[in-house]
Amino acid sequence: MKRIMIDATKCDGCKSCTIACMQAHRDTPGTIYDLDLTDIRNESRNHIVRMEDGSYRPIFCRHCDQPECMMSCMSGALTKDPVTGHVQYDETKCGSCFMCVMNCPYGVLKADTATRTKVIKCDFCIKDGEEPNCVLSCPTGAIYVKEVL
Amino acid sequence: MKHVIIGVGAAGITAAKTIREMQPQADIIMISEDTYVHSRCMLHRYLSHERDEKALSFVPEDFFEKQQLTWFSGKKVTHILPQTHQIRLSDDATLDYDKLLIATGANSFIPPVGDFRQAANVFGLRHLSDAQRILAQAENAQRILIVGSGLVGMDAAYAFLEQKKQVTVVEMADRILPIQLDETAGNTYRKLFEAAGCHFIVSRKASATVMENGRITKVILDDQTEIPCDLVIVAAGVRAAIECVQDTSIKSERFIEVNDYMQTSDPDIYAAGDVAGLSGIWPNAMKQGQTAAYNMCGFPMQYVDRYAMKNTMNFYGITTLSLGRGIVQDGDEVILKEDHSSYRKAILRDGKLDSILLQGSIDYSGIYQYLIKNQVDISDKKDRIFDLSFADFYGIEPDGQYNWRI
Repeated sequence: MKRIMIDATKCDGCKSCTIACMQAHRDTPGTIYDLDLTDIRNESRNHIVRMEDGSYRPIFCRHCDQPECMMSCMSGALTKDPVTGHVQYDETKCGSCFMCVMNCPYGVLKADTATRTKVIKCDFCIKDGEEPNCVLSCPTGAIYVKEVL
Repeated sequence: MKHVIIGVGAAGITAAKTIREMQPQADIIMISEDTYVHSRCMLHRYLSHERDEKALSFVPEDFFEKQQLTWFSGKKVTHILPQTHQIRLSDDATLDYDKLLIATGANSFIPPVGDFRQAANVFGLRHLSDAQRILAQAENAQRILIVGSGLVGMDAAYAFLEQKKQVTVVEMADRILPIQLDETAGNTYRKLFEAAGCHFIVSRKASATVMENGRITKVILDDQTEIPCDLVIVAAGVRAAIECVQDTSIKSERFIEVNDYMQTSDPDIYAAGDVAGLSGIWPNAMKQGQTAAYNMCGFPMQYVDRYAMKNTMNFYGITTLSLGRGIVQDGDEVILKEDHSSYRKAILRDGKLDSILLQGSIDYSGIYQYLIKNQVDISDKKDRIFDLSFADFYGIEPDGQYNWRI
């Protein structure tokens, strides 16, 4: 499967990936230049934590081999695609219980801030048909896509 | 190989999927009293008319076809015959098995209060069949009494409030959601439910009933308060559905006994989910089903991820995560943080997290279960307890997956 690999030593915390993710998942039409950063409905599926020593640690969904989020989903909204290996989320099935948020051992998931009815979860930008937008926007090579077993 | 699975809940379905992945050719037969695969955690959405039977399913519509599973629905297993490796169904049919999984779940417990067990308008809320029977009566019922303010009771209250019914919830403890929440966190929900019209009576028990024409018309509490009602929902816990093993050599008391491999006292019979009594939590039932399936296919695997004191809830847009028992012992350190939109409480014991309650935002909170489950020493990080993230324990495997560095 294809996974977004992380080289945290190359991350300089610019958050281009975060903005790219918000843009890729916005409900309204438009370009990154008119993306409303103050609209709580525009949320990123990834985030970066700045450490005290000035280094950065990107927190991105791993689409785990054994996805704990999927193994807690009581509505069937989270499934692992047998072909791509990606863990996909079907908002229409979601029961908004957020056990997946509780069960992700890496603290990647969150409830949507505006309505608390959806999970904010990486979809690998499959609808755009190429590499995920976060990866395309990374200027340092801290994140890149690799085929892994 | 012929696998038979009794039950189409979280454990049974996960087991079937797992067996199919490992043994593409095996015969897999599923038997259930349920006629729809459904998520019990969403029955309140059915009562509130937000979802129909099909929308309660947690598997795709073509699941049984695609996974090549034979499903006998609407049938009860009346006997298990371990000697001959057979089961008998309610219609007297018998089926052979090589490996059997019992994942029959649990049924609502209706306490012997007054005529609760005889009345035609008293229900548990556990199966879709319960919800269907409730719906049939709810149309003509205006005054709903709910006994118990656990998650099931509150789910039921929500559903009826959505339909503008007059809802009263009676709770034995001195606060609502007493297992998951402390008073502060419980009161947040109490206010929201009250604003929606709910009436709560805490520190009281139902002690007697008044019945007319087979229906309860009044429930009398232990302080003699009379509550007139048209419909009673009893949310007072569940009992494991162990009937099918009761006259067999399979060891059981309140639950079916299993070893670390989810195997019962009969080596070819396994049990998983609520019937095994290890946990009543959906994710754990899935893991137990998965574990049983591996063992049924001859790949020894122990059930290790046993932590079960965990829950999330979401009512009226307020989310809460509750991990641990939440009970403070001598020597514990309690850290509290509260503002207009959130309430956070952590209980530390010997430098390790024992319990945590997060209400308001539960963003990125998945790490706390790991910290509790693995008893990670966080004494040097406790000042930032509510700001911790995976970044504090950051490790990456060569294949890109994360691992915890402690």
